[in-house]
This record gives sequence, structure tokens and C-alpha cells, in this order.
Amino acid sequence: MKILVPIDGSARADLAVQYVLSQMSNWVSKPEIFLLNVQWKVVNSNVKFFIDPQTVQDYYREAGLQALAAARLLLDQAGLSYQYHIGVGTPAEGIAQYALEQGVSQIVMTQGGESNLQSLLLGSVTSRVLSLAPCPVLIVK
Amino acid sequence: MLSLEMLASSDFWIGVLKIIMIDLLLSGDNAVVIALACRNLPESQRKKGILFGVGGAIGLRVVLTFFAVGLLSLPYLKLLGAVLLVWIGIKLILPEEDHDESNIKADTRLLGAVKTIIIADFVMSLDNVLGVAGAANGNMFLLIFGLLISIPLIAWSSQLVLKLIDRFPWIIYGGGALLGYVAGEMLVGEAALAAWVVEHPLLHHVIPAVGAALVLATGWWLSLRQRAHAPLEDVLDEVVKRPE
Repeated sequence: MKILVPIDGSARADLAVQYVLSQMSNWVSKPEIFLLNVQWKVVNSNVKFFIDPQTVQDYYREAGLQALAAARLLLDQAGLSYQYHIGVGTPAEGIAQYALEQGVSQIVMTQGGESNLQSLLLGSVTSRVLSLAPCPVLIVK
Repeated sequence: MLSLEMLASSDFWIGVLKIIMIDLLLSGDNAVVIALACRNLPESQRKKGILFGVGGAIGLRVVLTFFAVGLLSLPYLKLLGAVLLVWIGIKLILPEEDHDESNIKADTRLLGAVKTIIIADFVMSLDNVLGVAGAANGNMFLLIFGLLISIPLIAWSSQLVLKLIDRFPWIIYGGGALLGYVAGEMLVGEAALAAWVVEHPLLHHVIPAVGAALVLATGWWLSLRQRAHAPLEDVLDEVVKRPE
């Protein structure tokens, strides 16, 4: 069983990790846990013309690691094996694509990690994932 | 400069909206370049680099704007400006090409970072300045308003706009059409065509509409091969293994 927990770096997102940890004893075999952070693609080709690719990569990696830090700490403290991944793209589409590629059996996520203005303008990532995901999605309230 | 009459006209408020839209769509990159160019500086110099970079960029934009307005008042240069605006509109719509053969080196010195920012801002401001000058259409108040709006967009990253464009790619079609429309208005205002336009007043509406349609059709045709959403790019993949 592969469980994907998308992490956006908000404190709410880590609730999904806590939920997965609380359910560990319910699974017969230990599930494989995947953490995923998708960074919005804010660097376009105009910018790439002036900034070297390494700096851009470093920026995305640093921002991604920062977002994943709290969730990783929870799993480290629980002494579990896991995989973590940082990608760049549109979050909901990226999460669905990663779930498909990894053959994930379930996505566990929380609702409304983004700010009010952002979710008003961009729509909620969680509801986009619900409609795009190739597998069941569990929403932690 | 600002009269009550002006505030009461719908043309004025449409001009304000056009300028806000152009500024939003054509300013976001500058903030990203400033942030990234200063990343490799030592911690102590980073703030200074951002300050110099933003200051220089704003100064440059003010100078470029008045330069553009001066140029556009010369005969025939509105023709050139209109063609450039159509091109900028099409370029906005086109899917981005990845030039991976990039040979730019990260600069870890303050002067190098500031130089990168100023050069980048010069290049990336040209489209914005021309668009705002076109939309202001000789109205000094609108011109300065456009400048003032773009300054916070340079100084503070307007990442929300970049996210919006990524989430709703059709926004750039709206922006492209707007730039085509402004190009058409610029063409109508060209002194060399004045006699013709006076004779056929309908051209005031037809030419801008044709400009918008031209940008949309060309952009759509050239980006037919673009996928709706770019696939996820990988940055980092790690496995944490623990003994069971």
C-alpha cells in the first residue's frame, strides 16, 4: 500500500501526516509513505535568460525542503521509512500526475492550507486534486 | 492634470483598467529576477543588493517611460510602436521555449548581482513601458499612474499573478488581446494616418479590434502544439530507509 501525502508547507498540511501516523496500527503491513511538495512555477523563460539554472534549482529545492521540514520531522520521530519528492508545476495537476506515476493507492491531505485570497482566486488545491486524482483521496478535517 | 471632467469619462476609467492589467501581466518577472539574483550573495549583502536592484530598476523604468513617450510623438514611430506591441502580445501568449544551453554564471559579488538586475530590468521593462505608454495615449496622469502601479510590483514579488497565470492559462490570452487592442489604438493615433481616420470614423473601433484579433489568432496558431499543462518537473527525489 502506497500513501501519498502532499505537503504545501502550511501547519495544516502536517495534520495529514499526523493522521497517517495515528492509523499506522490499523494496517496489516506497513504502508509506504510518500511526501510530495509542488512548488509553483514562478520562474519563466524570461527569467531563465538572466539567472543560471543552478540558482533556480537551488531556490526550488530550498523552498521545497523548507515546506517539507515539519512533516519529515514527524516521520523521523516516528522512526518510519518514507520517500520525499519536490516538483515544480501547478500543484493539483502535479499531485495527480505524481500519484499516477508512483501507482499510489491513496492520497491523504487536508483542506485549505492556502490563504483565503489565494484560494478565492486560484480555487482550492484539494478540490482540484479530488477531481484529478487517479486513486481514492482521503481528506483529513 | 487631473480634472473632474476626466474622472467622469468612461474612457479614463477604461484606461486605468488597461494599465493595471498591463502592469500586472508584464511586471511579475522583475521581482523574481531580483530575488534570485541576490540569492548567491553573502547574507550580509543580500538586503543591500535587493535595495540597489529595486532602486535602479525603478529609476530605469521612469527614464524609459518618458523616453518612450517622447519617441512616440515623432512621426511614424507610432507605426513601429504598434508593430512592437502586437509582437509583445503574441510573445505573451506563446508557450515558453526552454533554452537549456544557458551559459550564465551565478555572481556572488554585490556589483555582479546588481548588474544582472539592471540589465534584466532594462530588457523586461521595455514591453511594460511601451504597453503603458500606448494605453495612456498621451494622458500624463495615466502615464504616471501606470508607473506608480508598477513600482510595488517590482519591489514586492507579485507571485500571486504568476500563480494565476499558471492556474488559468487563458488569462494571457486576455492580456495578449488587450496589447493587440492598444496597438490598434496607437495606430489610429498615428499622425500619418490622421486624414484617413477622420474620413472613416469607424476605424477608431475597427483597427483596435483587428489588432486584438491578430494577436489572438497568431498566438493561438503558433501555440497549437502546447500542452494544456506542463508536466511536473523533478527537483529532488530522496528515500529515507530505516531498519524495520
